[in-house]
Amino acid sequence: MPSTSGPLTPGLASFLKTLKTNPIDTSIDNLISLLKRRQIRHSRSCATATAYLLRSVISASRTNDANKLIERVQYVGRRLMAAQPREMVVGNIVRRVLGLIRDEAEDDREGDFNLSEAGSESQPQTPRGLDDPTDALSARHEGSDRGASRNPLPALTAAPISMFSLLSHPEPENSLPGTPVSASPSGRWLGFGHGPSKDIRAEVLDGIGEIIDELGQVDDQIAAYALDHIHSNEIILTHTSSTTVQKFLLKAAAKRKFTVIHAESYPNNHEATHATVSGANPHDDELLSTESFQKPLIALGITVILIPDSAVFALMSRVNKVILGTHSVLANGGLVAAAGTRVIARAAKVHQTPVVVVSGVYKLSPVYPFDFDSLIEYGDASKVISYEDGDLVDQIDVQNPLYDYVPAELIDLYITNLGGHAPSYLYRIVSDHYRKEDISV
Amino acid sequence: MAAAISTSSDVAKPFDIVATYNDLLRSDPDLTMPIAAIEALVLLLTHSPSSTISETLDLLEKSTAHLKQSIPNPIGLSAGTDLFQRYLITTLQRPGQLGPAGDFNAIRAHLLSNGRLFIRRAKESRDKIAAFGRGFVRDGSTVLTNGGSRVVASLLQQAAGEKGGPSAVRFRVIYVLSPAKGDVEGSSAEPEGMEMVRALREKGVPVATIPESAVAYSLGKADVVIVGAEGVVENGGIVSRMGTYQIGLLAKAMSKPFYVVAESHKFVRLYPLGQYDLPIEQRVIDFKTEEDVADEAKQQQQQQQQQTQSTPGVKSPDSHDVVDYTPPHLISALITDSGVLTPSAVSEELIKIWF
Repeated sequence: MPSTSGPLTPGLASFLKTLKTNPIDTSIDNLISLLKRRQIRHSRSCATATAYLLRSVISASRTNDANKLIERVQYVGRRLMAAQPREMVVGNIVRRVLGLIRDEAEDDREGDFNLSEAGSESQPQTPRGLDDPTDALSARHEGSDRGASRNPLPALTAAPISMFSLLSHPEPENSLPGTPVSASPSGRWLGFGHGPSKDIRAEVLDGIGEIIDELGQVDDQIAAYALDHIHSNEIILTHTSSTTVQKFLLKAAAKRKFTVIHAESYPNNHEATHATVSGANPHDDELLSTESFQKPLIALGITVILIPDSAVFALMSRVNKVILGTHSVLANGGLVAAAGTRVIARAAKVHQTPVVVVSGVYKLSPVYPFDFDSLIEYGDASKVISYEDGDLVDQIDVQNPLYDYVPAELIDLYITNLGGHAPSYLYRIVSDHYRKEDISV
Repeated sequence: MAAAISTSSDVAKPFDIVATYNDLLRSDPDLTMPIAAIEALVLLLTHSPSSTISETLDLLEKSTAHLKQSIPNPIGLSAGTDLFQRYLITTLQRPGQLGPAGDFNAIRAHLLSNGRLFIRRAKESRDKIAAFGRGFVRDGSTVLTNGGSRVVASLLQQAAGEKGGPSAVRFRVIYVLSPAKGDVEGSSAEPEGMEMVRALREKGVPVATIPESAVAYSLGKADVVIVGAEGVVENGGIVSRMGTYQIGLLAKAMSKPFYVVAESHKFVRLYPLGQYDLPIEQRVIDFKTEEDVADEAKQQQQQQQQQTQSTPGVKSPDSHDVVDYTPPHLISALITDSGVLTPSAVSEELIKIWF
């Protein structure tokens, strides 16, 4: 298909192509410069690139020691995150990979433990639960990662309870005066890193493979919930050319008839939005899944109304539901999304229209937004006023923010690939996916 | 001083849990109510030679009920006693070294020998919170706070860092001072929190002190509100000193973030539906006619005469001890030792220890 620009323009496609052939350090530098120059910019593209890069990093490091792997990933992760701190998915993927390594190392340790303590085979996690206060805090997150599939009873009794960390039985070394209770996470593993009984590296590589698979499927998984939320003859308002939203709407359009009002999101995304609405396939080589980029909504008989952003408030009274895509979701339930999202969310609040945000779990960041302003990225001012307009450019200060911070109270529901969640529940998903010790990489 | 109390107290005299609790609170100004309650229970176990599980649990239950009854505001305290009881029960049910198969004496010995450790951990959790919460105090921001919360103090002091040091955050504090205690001993005519104001000023943090009536006026100049709590209830709301609720309401009205700093051992299993649903009696709204006032004045005179004869230091539920309830929708986030939580996360933590 449109691979005309493949090797020529640097981007996700060219990065993935060269990843196999280039030495690993070149690839790291390559991705850092791509991120810095914003040649990779969509959330998913960044996430995919990061996941592939980390997979190469781990397969290139010839060690099976969890500590060394963690150190290596942390080092690479820090550099990537420093390259583009506002692209929070990079950090999310790094944290998940770190979590994977820690999980595997811990499983390994548990395996050893069970061999020596035959008496506790029914609840393998139990002995660890209360003997180490720091463990009790962190293991909670690890334990719930697969909690959905686990038998609830052991999960309940084995779940280490952080409130008990106050009273719990001290580890021998912790009861010594002067020893800090919170041992550093890497220090904790020093004793267990020796003689691993299985191939941690292979397990981690498998895990990263799963993350990459997840990134590929996430939109379809989210779309599977579409029929629960979009009903016949509803009027839906959306914004930007988000693939996730489009797939969501398309899924519902296969069964139901509804109307979509599409705000054009000038000046940063209007061309792509127009293309999405009209079905002129955008030559966007960053969207990997071009093969799955399907017919536009109008081809399925859906009425799509394209409006300028300024008309959002006027039309809101007629809208039944607002469905928004996002750039990243933060731990407090707020989100960072394309500029203009907050206006829409605010208008929806005024009209009591439900606001639904569709987002993959990979966009969910454990970062707490202490400083909202630092999350907002400013883009090319020439999109607002072109530089040919010399007189104006000289005299006025033109700003083009790319993102908006939308506080949690403006959002009614998040739909992720795991289902629908209230904004106040997101902390739970955060703690399921990231480990406490990795929150600050 | 736990050891000091246990040795000095007369062995022949029956163990008085209420006195122990009050002694503990008085002896260490850094001690929170739940921790003092746990300590009192630990000391109780030291003094009672019960060796079976049910005997111990029964004893604990009775003493807890007695303690709760004798303290005017047992909300904070009950967080500690509940946590202690649940810990004991859960540990006993759990297979393993300390479980039913194991020796009951082992867990008893663990609890008895580690009283100091619990207190130390409780204090350490403040440092942990301060580490989590540092990010909330930004350079150039103004923080509004109230009361004499030790956790808030440690958070702000850590943010202030060394004077002019590399890690110092340059921030300002607006400190809401409640009027001085109307204590019997007039020595502490200074409002609660002045100590923290001095400590902050010493570190080079500009502090403005305002009366409670000036909160609405001053809030426009503040970027963030940080308060402490006596107890965090099940729905994520907080029980805190009188005046916190109105600060919360005002912060919401002015859309300023309202953060609560509290250790996770302050989570208490309580679900208040409103201000007047707290399980304590507070005579805040007290309607009186002229007649009632005259009656009361007479009674007070009599009481004062009696009091001078008996021990003078007995604490009465003074007006400064009253609390109010801040509902969860006013709270932006809870900064606890297990991380920054949304109010709805509190119930999950509680459910984990109860069910």
